[in-house]
Amino acid sequence: ANGDSPEPGEIQEIEVDMQAQAESIKTVFSDPKNFNVKHPLYSPWTLWFDSPATKGRNLPQTPSSAFPQTPLPQTPGGAAALGWMEDIKRVISFDSVEEFWGLYNNIVPPSQLPQKANYYLFKDGIIPAWEDDANKNGGKWSIQLPKDKNRNNIDKMWLYTMLAAIGETFDPYLTNPETPPGTASLVTGVIVSTRPQFYRLSIWTRQAPSATPGEDESLRERIEAVGRHFKTSVLGYSDSQKLAGPLATEVEFLSHKDSEKKGKSARKITVLP
Amino acid sequence: STAAPGSIPAPLPSALATARIIEDLGSVPYPEGINSPKVELNVNAPAGKFKYDRDFLLQFMQICKEKPDNLPPLDAIGLEPSEQTSYNI
Repeated sequence: ANGDSPEPGEIQEIEVDMQAQAESIKTVFSDPKNFNVKHPLYSPWTLWFDSPATKGRNLPQTPSSAFPQTPLPQTPGGAAALGWMEDIKRVISFDSVEEFWGLYNNIVPPSQLPQKANYYLFKDGIIPAWEDDANKNGGKWSIQLPKDKNRNNIDKMWLYTMLAAIGETFDPYLTNPETPPGTASLVTGVIVSTRPQFYRLSIWTRQAPSATPGEDESLRERIEAVGRHFKTSVLGYSDSQKLAGPLATEVEFLSHKDSEKKGKSARKITVLP
Repeated sequence: STAAPGSIPAPLPSALATARIIEDLGSVPYPEGINSPKVELNVNAPAGKFKYDRDFLLQFMQICKEKPDNLPPLDAIGLEPSEQTSYNI
């Protein structure tokens, strides 16, 4: 053979190869017990938890492999976060779709959590604190929902929030085919909080646009697209729906730096109804 | 009383622990009735760095029910359903 055209038997051989390969790939859909491939997530994630029951309590010793210690950040800001992080328990890290669902199906949903509890789902290596390098220049989209009206919705809302996070579809800029591949996502983590009267869902972002109008326009647009996606595609509200009311807020963005100012001078961006 | 935890024989590695990471989504055959991940989310995706749409992800909910090997006992980290904790202590 001169290399230009395959031998008569050659094509057949390749086809047989591909067929054999396809048969050797078993997903959880074709064999739930003996699957041999799993779906990697774009990033590994870690779930953290805290509640009044985890605070200042001497928790029973568990094998360190089953209960990894909270990693100590090496930066000065990270050290400041330590007091905050002491009460937050690391639940588990995972990096595949299959592992996420194993966790989801064996953990307590937000509707059954005690009051004043929080789940924090953050990208691996980022602690759920403002002081982390990945968060310190960022901010958060959040929505507050009255508890009595949303007891039956919160589990689904949290699930859809987690799925948008681990599926890496929160940042519409990244799912635009014209965006250069490898562009980093803005999202660092998502949080659900239970309080006596309400639930809160939050999406933390790596950056926050400047409060000065005219600055950071492209970042502002990208952040706003995350908020709109959260309101409509994830939570299922219509674009024009008004959400604010007693114990309820619109979907609002606040930079962590402005959160520290506590109210008055803080400038919020709202997904405008 | 504080009893030392009994030694539990290590279970055989689960399929999850031994399964390999998919590197090329296009090479994966899905059974009839199961939708592949949305192709437009993964144009030019680097190997193993995939985005998944919600409808694709939800298909795993009823299948992947096994408790992860590395999930700590939830009561050990104070994570219990509120109905249950209200009766304790």
